Amino acid sequence: MSFLSFPFAIFAGLGLLAFYFGPKGWRVGTLLALSYGFYLTWSVFYGAMLLLVTLGVYAAGRGIEAAGGEGRKRGLMILSVSLLVLLLLGFKSAGWIAREFFARADGFNPAGAILLPLGLSYYIFKMVGYLLDVYWEAMPAQRSFAAVALYGAFFPQIVSGPIERAENFFTQLQRLDAPDSEAFLIGLRRILFGLFKKIAIADTLAVVVQNAHAHPASFSPLELVVAAYCFAIELYMDFSGITDIAIGLGLLFGIRGPENFDLPYFTPNIQLFWRRLHMSLTSWLRDYLFTPLRMSLRRWGTAGLCLAIFINTTAIGLWHGLTWTFLIFGAMHGVFVIVSVLTMKQRNAFFQGRPPLAQMRGFVAPVIVFHLVVFSLIFFRADSFSSAAQYVAGLVPGRSGVSAWRFDTEMLGLPGRDLAWCAFGYLLCEAVTWAGKKPFWQRVFFRAPALLRRAVYTALIISVLLLFKGGLAFIYAQF
Amino acid sequence: MTKSEINEKLTAVFRDIFDNPKLEITSQTTANDVEGWDSIMHVNLIVAVETAFDVRFTTKDVKGLDTVGDLMDLIAKRVK
Repeated sequence: MSFLSFPFAIFAGLGLLAFYFGPKGWRVGTLLALSYGFYLTWSVFYGAMLLLVTLGVYAAGRGIEAAGGEGRKRGLMILSVSLLVLLLLGFKSAGWIAREFFARADGFNPAGAILLPLGLSYYIFKMVGYLLDVYWEAMPAQRSFAAVALYGAFFPQIVSGPIERAENFFTQLQRLDAPDSEAFLIGLRRILFGLFKKIAIADTLAVVVQNAHAHPASFSPLELVVAAYCFAIELYMDFSGITDIAIGLGLLFGIRGPENFDLPYFTPNIQLFWRRLHMSLTSWLRDYLFTPLRMSLRRWGTAGLCLAIFINTTAIGLWHGLTWTFLIFGAMHGVFVIVSVLTMKQRNAFFQGRPPLAQMRGFVAPVIVFHLVVFSLIFFRADSFSSAAQYVAGLVPGRSGVSAWRFDTEMLGLPGRDLAWCAFGYLLCEAVTWAGKKPFWQRVFFRAPALLRRAVYTALIISVLLLFKGGLAFIYAQF
Repeated sequence: MTKSEINEKLTAVFRDIFDNPKLEITSQTTANDVEGWDSIMHVNLIVAVETAFDVRFTTKDVKGLDTVGDLMDLIAKRVK
């Protein structure tokens, strides 16, 4: 059952009725029933696996807390976390093994038959974080099994995150209340915003990206560059769209999930880019992978720092799937971040004595960072290393045999006017996100005549309804 | 080691690590108050503190630090 489907709308509506009008003491139980109900419509077998994982994590959490002595605590933590990581790696590598070793030239590819459990990466990361927090004594082990089960399965967050921290979730469960009308409206607005991003922008651009990546050799360098921009925007609008829907849905049920994005394509350096993109994953990796790794490698000096960064960005890449293209994507960002970190002091010193250049840096740096990201995303999107290589080769003028400046929108599959609208829509979404954090602009919007605000909402709803193509799958639901 | 001695020595470490000779810290200072204090600089800072005070921290210690005050308490606990 996709978030973008009629059955889901009915499911969520009935769920809200049960949540709002059921007895107060049943709210956690209601959410748990809804979450498992949602999961089981997708797969009963994997639903049972989720329950089994939850049982193990619940017992491990209690066990780590109760174990006497550091050695036993540590042993239990390592055992339970390793099992979770092995489960994740097992499923992720099954597709890779099938593709690398069992795919045949006649097109037979058993990887297609392997179904990844819905939300596996998200719930495993949540559970690993929970166990490490208990081990580090950052929080007590959860006493309520229902709370741990709901944490893992909470349906708004299971498809594509965000990866909420255990402590934050459990604290909210303790005083779980039906939101008032204002909070409810915030939730609905957020869902509408997410639907607009996904349906009006991401799905519209998807066709351009698909065409360019299917036959990169037949496109001109300019067309490939535009398609690469389109993918950067498609991916971001798709993912931040489903995150908005997830956060909005959570708010309707009284749970505020963590934010996942903060204007990532407007950052002056690549480190900051990673702190503003998929924030719930990158902050998770910072706390549970990078910091422990960096701590244990700290005697190695700069080499230890570089290694910790490289492992971290490679883990981000491979988290999306065990493929060569994701590995290259992660490794590429490892190099970007290492170079940026190691030269930061010198660059700052250089610009400090040159005010006019420093001013220019403010504009130029985000453009450079954006282009590094766009380039790396060619590998992220490509089906294989060879098609990524073909795409990159096509960017070189003169190689594709067509004029470098040809710009045939018919080939790209989208009229120029629609491309411009998508770019404008994306910038508008970012402007709204930016203004939403500024009290001044919030006041301006909410003090505007109600008619104007309703006109904005109506325009969003109409564009969503008109452009809805039956719901392409969310990109990040496959990870 | 007294609190003010820790404060003085720690300020010198902060100024060196964040390359800011005018940087002032208080026990309420957090990573958000100091420009450039990100996850990468955080461990650099911890390593510099370990060297300056001749102490060793664990990952668990480092995880529990929210403010400079927490760091000062941790140093006071470890310094002999």
